[in-house]
Amino acid sequence: MSTWLHRLNPSIKMLVTFVFIFALAFYFDPWTPLLMFGAVLVVQVLFSRIDWKRWLMLMLPFALGAVGYFWTTYVFGTAEDRLDTALSLSFRVFAFSSLSLLFVLTTSPMTFIMSLMQQLKLSPKLAYSLLVGYQFLPVLKEEFIQIRQVQQLRRPQHNQTTWSRLRSLPTVAIPLLAGAVRKAEKTAFAMEARGFTGSRERTYFHEVTWHRFDFYFAALLTLIFSLCLVVGAFL
Amino acid sequence: MLANWKLKEVVLMSLLAVVFGIIYLVFLHVGNIWSSLIGPIAYEWIFGVWFLVSIVAMAIIRKPGAAVIPEVMAAAIEVLLGNAVGPRLILTGLVQGLGAEAAFAVTRYRRFDLPVLILAGVLASVFSFGYGYLLGGFSALSPWYVLLMLGIRILSGAVIAGYGGGLLVNGLYATGSLRGYAIARQKRDARV
Repeated sequence: MSTWLHRLNPSIKMLVTFVFIFALAFYFDPWTPLLMFGAVLVVQVLFSRIDWKRWLMLMLPFALGAVGYFWTTYVFGTAEDRLDTALSLSFRVFAFSSLSLLFVLTTSPMTFIMSLMQQLKLSPKLAYSLLVGYQFLPVLKEEFIQIRQVQQLRRPQHNQTTWSRLRSLPTVAIPLLAGAVRKAEKTAFAMEARGFTGSRERTYFHEVTWHRFDFYFAALLTLIFSLCLVVGAFL
Repeated sequence: MLANWKLKEVVLMSLLAVVFGIIYLVFLHVGNIWSSLIGPIAYEWIFGVWFLVSIVAMAIIRKPGAAVIPEVMAAAIEVLLGNAVGPRLILTGLVQGLGAEAAFAVTRYRRFDLPVLILAGVLASVFSFGYGYLLGGFSALSPWYVLLMLGIRILSGAVIAGYGGGLLVNGLYATGSLRGYAIARQKRDARV
């Protein structure tokens, strides 16, 4: 997986998406967010290979949310052209999501954290702890399933509705958290035993850099956004 | 900022962030499905869930930053797991975490009892609402509807994050696994 978008520096990619998400927040016409959504999707199709199944799975819940946004703004809105504002706010959900998916689907977690540490000067203590946490995800997931199964054995009459599962979350959370606390202690000892000090003067096995492509990317999105504004103003 | 932190405290924050990050994602999807029916107000009554890690981590570690950092980390974990809110969640986490942090900063990191935890939940609600107001375009909605949303969010922050977070910490404390952290030290000192 090494497309043009994958090779961008994750920190710069993140900052660029931040800029345009905030820029979009100031527009209440339907065209600007809709065009932005389409344009960002085109960029992603051109410069990376989209896994459409994953894209749809991630997009679907937000598409549902956009429906809610549409009718809430339509019913409870105050603007004169309520339909336009309602359409704008629901297209905004789509535009935000496309920008986010552009980041999420083309960034590896490991490179992202390494880049946060090397470009944005995140403390190594925090960055490596975050990586530890990320590595523990599958373990914690397994433990979560185990704890739930044990509790079901003890209370077999528990029927499995969504509501009862949500309600039993605290009784699952406490043993899960207790396990997490113990893992944190053990891992911290192990890291220190191997000479991890958390100091900023360190070398990196995995060096993340940035290139002129990162500027091209920022420039491309700026161009696209300005075009969306101009076209949006005319329509 | 992290100079006088023990590594095990930082790793603990990260693991708490992972556990809550998963819970956050589950509730994000619950909220999304609900919101197609009743609109963005669907998120409001469960909003307190998203402040939990600030309150739990701060109640255990009791150092400046222990509310805002794990909230940002939990958001980062949500981003790493992949979802369509994406990197913007990190900013959301920062704003929410700063809200909770403010409550502890006001009490100069000396009190961690229930009223302060509830205040942290309330302030996190207020901070996050300001941020949501801008990005969600709430200014297009009628003022009474926005006030209703804010009211539900504050209530949710107080009950789920403040009160619920307090219960979680007490339950966790009872398991004995927090012996090496500030919460156990301070409770011991208070008893002597």
